[in-house]
Amino acid sequence: MTEEYDVEFVEREDRKARFLVRGVTPAFANGIRRAMIADVPTMAIDTVRFVENSSVMFDEQLALRLGLVPLTTPPEGEFTEDDTVTLSIDVEGPATAYSGDLVSSDDLVQPADENVPIIELKDDQRLEAEADAVLNRGKDHAKHQGGVAVGYRHLQRVEVGDDVPEFEEQERRIVRGVIEEDGELVPTSEFDHDLTNRYPGKEVRVEDVPNAFVFHVETDGSFTVDELVTRAVDSIEARAIELEEAVQL
Amino acid sequence: MELRVTESSDDELSIEIGGEDHTFMNVLKGALLEHDDVSAATYDMNPEQSGGQTEPILTIKTEGGVDPLDALEEAAVNVREKTTAFREAFEAAA
Repeated sequence: MTEEYDVEFVEREDRKARFLVRGVTPAFANGIRRAMIADVPTMAIDTVRFVENSSVMFDEQLALRLGLVPLTTPPEGEFTEDDTVTLSIDVEGPATAYSGDLVSSDDLVQPADENVPIIELKDDQRLEAEADAVLNRGKDHAKHQGGVAVGYRHLQRVEVGDDVPEFEEQERRIVRGVIEEDGELVPTSEFDHDLTNRYPGKEVRVEDVPNAFVFHVETDGSFTVDELVTRAVDSIEARAIELEEAVQL
Repeated sequence: MELRVTESSDDELSIEIGGEDHTFMNVLKGALLEHDDVSAATYDMNPEQSGGQTEPILTIKTEGGVDPLDALEEAAVNVREKTTAFREAFEAAA
């Protein structure tokens, strides 16, 4: 059994992409989606040692906020689940402590965004802390979730039919996602998600294309979309290999 | 991944697959159902809080005298081939 897949990008940025996969079963598509959300490990702060915290928030509140800061995740194989990376922060008020103020001990693990506010410090308030980031999966804590807003929809095929009867008022026809028109992919945002904008005065029929899914993937900045997708596929593959070996025994 | 056979006969197998969740089980079940000699495949999983059996139990029924364990192995190979094919297709487009 050889599988034939066909991937085509509709939209592509580092942190956000939309791509069409043909020939994929719903079960497999969902496996990949779930793996992207819960099974791809990312770095996040897990333990914080406070040297000084004279801000208005409790230590544990700040620890949670620090944990939620997305950190860039090093390439596969660089880190294992037990390794830690230490980051430190030292901000004195009046100022706002941002994620960009975190100083990492490892170039590979840096805040993915510089502008995540951690806390606003007033006069004579100070935050000084040391934090340990660890590698873990989204299944254990949402802060380790690399894929945010990951989902898929069927590719939809639009067939244009007859004209709408002359004196009939046409109803709006809303579709979201990507449509296929003579083999060409058109994101519905191009016509404001309303098919009557694209085909005024025409009857249209919309149907799902079997086994063709348009994935929408956004990452939190831990890695690129490409990286997230390949790592998710790797994680399923690793389990398949493990099962294969376990059954052979 | 820890395997434990809970029930087994010539054409039927129930096996507990420890440490897995819907992510992998549904993909595996999908691959099993594509197998020609598998007449039925399903898995059962209970929520964490249910207090009973929370690890997934996969049940396979085969026809034509095929050992369910062989079918399981072939399904695992099939999943592996799918992931390889998917990665290749994705990287070709990327």
